[in-house]
Amino acid sequence: MTVLRPDAAPAGGADLGASAGLCDDLARASLALARRFAAGGTLWCVSPSSTFHAHHVAVEFVHPVIMGTRALPAVVVPAGADLVASLRATVRPGDMVVAVAGAAEAEVAEAMRRGPAWGTETVWIGAGPRPADGAADHVLWLDLDDPLVASELFVRIYHLLWELTHVCFEHTGLLRPDTCEEEVCITCSDEGRTAEVVSVDDLGEALVRTAEGREHIDTTLIDPPRPGDLVLVHAGSAIASLEEGR
Amino acid sequence: MKFVDEYRDPAAARRAVEEISVISAGEHRKFMEVCGGHTHTIYKHGIENVLPTNIELVHGPGCPVCVIPMGRVDDAIALAEQPDVIFTSFGDMMRVPGSKGNLLEAKARGADVRMVYSPLDALRIAMANPERQVVFFAIGFETTAPSTAVTLLKARERGITNFSVFSNHVTIVPPLKAILDSPDLRLDGFIGPGHVSTVIGNRPYRFVPATYGKPLVTSGFEPLDILQGIVMLLRQLRDGRCEIENQYTRAVRDEGNTKALQVLAEVFELRPHFEWRGLGFISHSGLKLSPAFADWDAELRYLVPGVRVADPKACQCGEVLKGVIKPWECKVFGTACTPETPIGTCMVSSEGACAAYYNYGRFTREAAAAARIPVRSA
Repeated sequence: MTVLRPDAAPAGGADLGASAGLCDDLARASLALARRFAAGGTLWCVSPSSTFHAHHVAVEFVHPVIMGTRALPAVVVPAGADLVASLRATVRPGDMVVAVAGAAEAEVAEAMRRGPAWGTETVWIGAGPRPADGAADHVLWLDLDDPLVASELFVRIYHLLWELTHVCFEHTGLLRPDTCEEEVCITCSDEGRTAEVVSVDDLGEALVRTAEGREHIDTTLIDPPRPGDLVLVHAGSAIASLEEGR
Repeated sequence: MKFVDEYRDPAAARRAVEEISVISAGEHRKFMEVCGGHTHTIYKHGIENVLPTNIELVHGPGCPVCVIPMGRVDDAIALAEQPDVIFTSFGDMMRVPGSKGNLLEAKARGADVRMVYSPLDALRIAMANPERQVVFFAIGFETTAPSTAVTLLKARERGITNFSVFSNHVTIVPPLKAILDSPDLRLDGFIGPGHVSTVIGNRPYRFVPATYGKPLVTSGFEPLDILQGIVMLLRQLRDGRCEIENQYTRAVRDEGNTKALQVLAEVFELRPHFEWRGLGFISHSGLKLSPAFADWDAELRYLVPGVRVADPKACQCGEVLKGVIKPWECKVFGTACTPETPIGTCMVSSEGACAAYYNYGRFTREAAAAARIPVRSA
């Protein structure tokens, strides 16, 4: 297996530039992907400004390159497509989105932000200035400025992502999802679930999409939302828009 | 046991933990998280175990199930046992013990008690059952009260008369004042509630730094949010600042949700005083329906006993709610009082400090205290 260590220089002598913890984060992201694949999820691969990365990621996961390994469902969002609209139409709760992109790529940030509403696990691979804290479930970032070196190392990172995912498949006990079956009180937990508005009617009600499915909510407490807006839902009512001030 | 690796964006979480260690420099700091949701996140994700030992988190009164006194539960059961009444409630209130059992037991005795997710669901039940009276057991802070208010506005607009609300809504600021006035608690700052603040904004907390000289940082509910909230509190203390700050900028505006505040003002008015479990009567801390909505007020429609019932002597929910003692320091914690057979309400709701600690923290506390989980450097 390829070894990625922050204190080890990769072949070719380029400085890896990986921060301590990246290896742990890579392993954790791989485990999350393995659990989602095991539960039937599909991987959506995104790289608007360097499409070859998205194709490469998808090929790695789809192609059972090692004898006996599973071919895993992975799909590329084509270049030139409206990224958010394409993902909105195709992803299902339990799916995954892997992006190879810079922090400044707004449409990638927008897709990642919608993960909680769509029920997707999000992995963002990049280099240079980091995206905002918490921008994705897994932020696999390199402290590098040279785009060519970074691009080469992205390949190594998603190769490892693929390979470690298959390592997780060899340990079926790891694939049990972290289920949370407990009752959660919506009032005490001060619940605010992220939901994406699908449609709005004239009576102040909206059909929204959440990680648990679609539901009707009341929206009279906020300014009339538009389809695609993210809102916080508490006890059947939208209590805040997540679009203001953006 | 959970580690920062399992948090959203663990690299950012590691940076926050390291900054907490550096800024606090070993000095003991005691912060209260006001909201039950924060308490739940802290225990579930083991945040106390990744923090340096000098950072102490105490749990506040922000669980509205936990603060409902036994007498109000008895009142709810009395309403549920009225003939022809369908009594609707959020799930967690169903197991909260009154002096004569809980709502689930009332249901077992034949009362028509139904669990709902939203007060609007209760209104739909009323519309589907015009021959029955539907009562909604309204609890919650300012996050939940607007949803009840919207439901009442819809009931009035649609002329639905077989619906009423038993209001036990409470407000967050008065208990905060009560805690700050408490002589037996010394705090260095507050992690302010997240979604309550989406409704009321940050302005109502101004008295916390202005009058009491304590910083407050409104925080979201992800583990990373709470860690960043602690970082912001420590930065204030380091810099000699004392102010309201907003970590949860993606949802909270300083002015709050003005539409929701207008709806609250139209439908509710403050009670002169309201009893909080363990905290006693607190002035202007509860909401009742305004005279304009008297026709939908269950307390006016029915004869509610309104008897005050003293808390069980063995229960120390009051001290836990004020953060004076930790859950495991209560005499009956984990022995006579468990989530299966709760004596105090803190053990009922999963966001109650006792239940959260019982479910997540009790087995690891001593081990973690003895050998702190090492935090990897960023």
